[in-house]
Amino acid sequence: MDIFTFLVENREILKPIYGLLIGLICFIIVLRVDKIFRLSLHQGIRYFRNAFVFYGIAFLVRYILGALINFGYLSGDYFNLVTLVFKYFLIMAGFFLLQSLIWKRVEGPNIDCRSSLVNPRIFIFYIMSFVIIFLDYFWKTHYFIFLSQIIIFTMASGVSLINYYNGKKEHGFLKFYFLAMILSLMAWILNAVAALFEWNQMIILIVSGINVITFLLFLYGVVYTTRLR
Amino acid sequence: MAKKRERLEVIRDILKVIQNSRNIKPTRLLYASNLSPQMFKDYVDELLNKKFVIAEENDGKRTFSLTKKGQDFLQEYRVIENFVDNFGL
Repeated sequence: MDIFTFLVENREILKPIYGLLIGLICFIIVLRVDKIFRLSLHQGIRYFRNAFVFYGIAFLVRYILGALINFGYLSGDYFNLVTLVFKYFLIMAGFFLLQSLIWKRVEGPNIDCRSSLVNPRIFIFYIMSFVIIFLDYFWKTHYFIFLSQIIIFTMASGVSLINYYNGKKEHGFLKFYFLAMILSLMAWILNAVAALFEWNQMIILIVSGINVITFLLFLYGVVYTTRLR
Repeated sequence: MAKKRERLEVIRDILKVIQNSRNIKPTRLLYASNLSPQMFKDYVDELLNKKFVIAEENDGKRTFSLTKKGQDFLQEYRVIENFVDNFGL
């Protein structure tokens, strides 16, 4: 039995492990980033932290609750709700990640917001997320979330590429951050391709692999840059 | 012309001056911070609110000194700066 066949045949057992792994990575990232945010109150760090809070919740909801539904511990009636919640947190996470890169240009450097979850600038993200989820739900598709994330990660890749060119001599991780953005973009494009081919399992597996590598890259960057004394 | 300081850099500079001078008077801190009076007041109010700095009365004169939280910030500043620069935030 080749590894691909093994992974496909055992995917229902591997999915919660995958979700737990991503959730754990996000948890570690949030812990480390929150510590430096509380000292600095830097808005970009805040949005970056929020992105991984939302990613962690998204993956845990989708893959842990999804497994409970699959194995009969939760009613199948909840599957649509789980999918909606997953999409919402995933879309918001993408918005926060992009906002962490562009907030100075959008908000100005001296903004003082008490809450990054309840403020007028983030309110538009909530509206856009609900619109995307509604459109997907109404048309019984996933292409609106795919399109939104492809746009977000194209923009994020562009910004991180500019940051890399501006700071490559002094800051070594910028190239890995650009790589992480490109991998995320690829994953979303492949997701859309997989959907076109009736959720081709090989492509889904590749997307999962890319996601793990991407989150590990983020984790590496956070650990690498926050260990300096 | 000198590059405009980022918010974190200004906070670092103010805290470093206070750290080096122990109990420093507001006027001396204002000159050392290289800020306009209004901006200086805004930053000092923020630092007092966030408990990086405390204001004390000594012989009827107001002075500023660094709290433990302010000292922690200065220690962690390089880490914070490194993180922000490496992620382009």
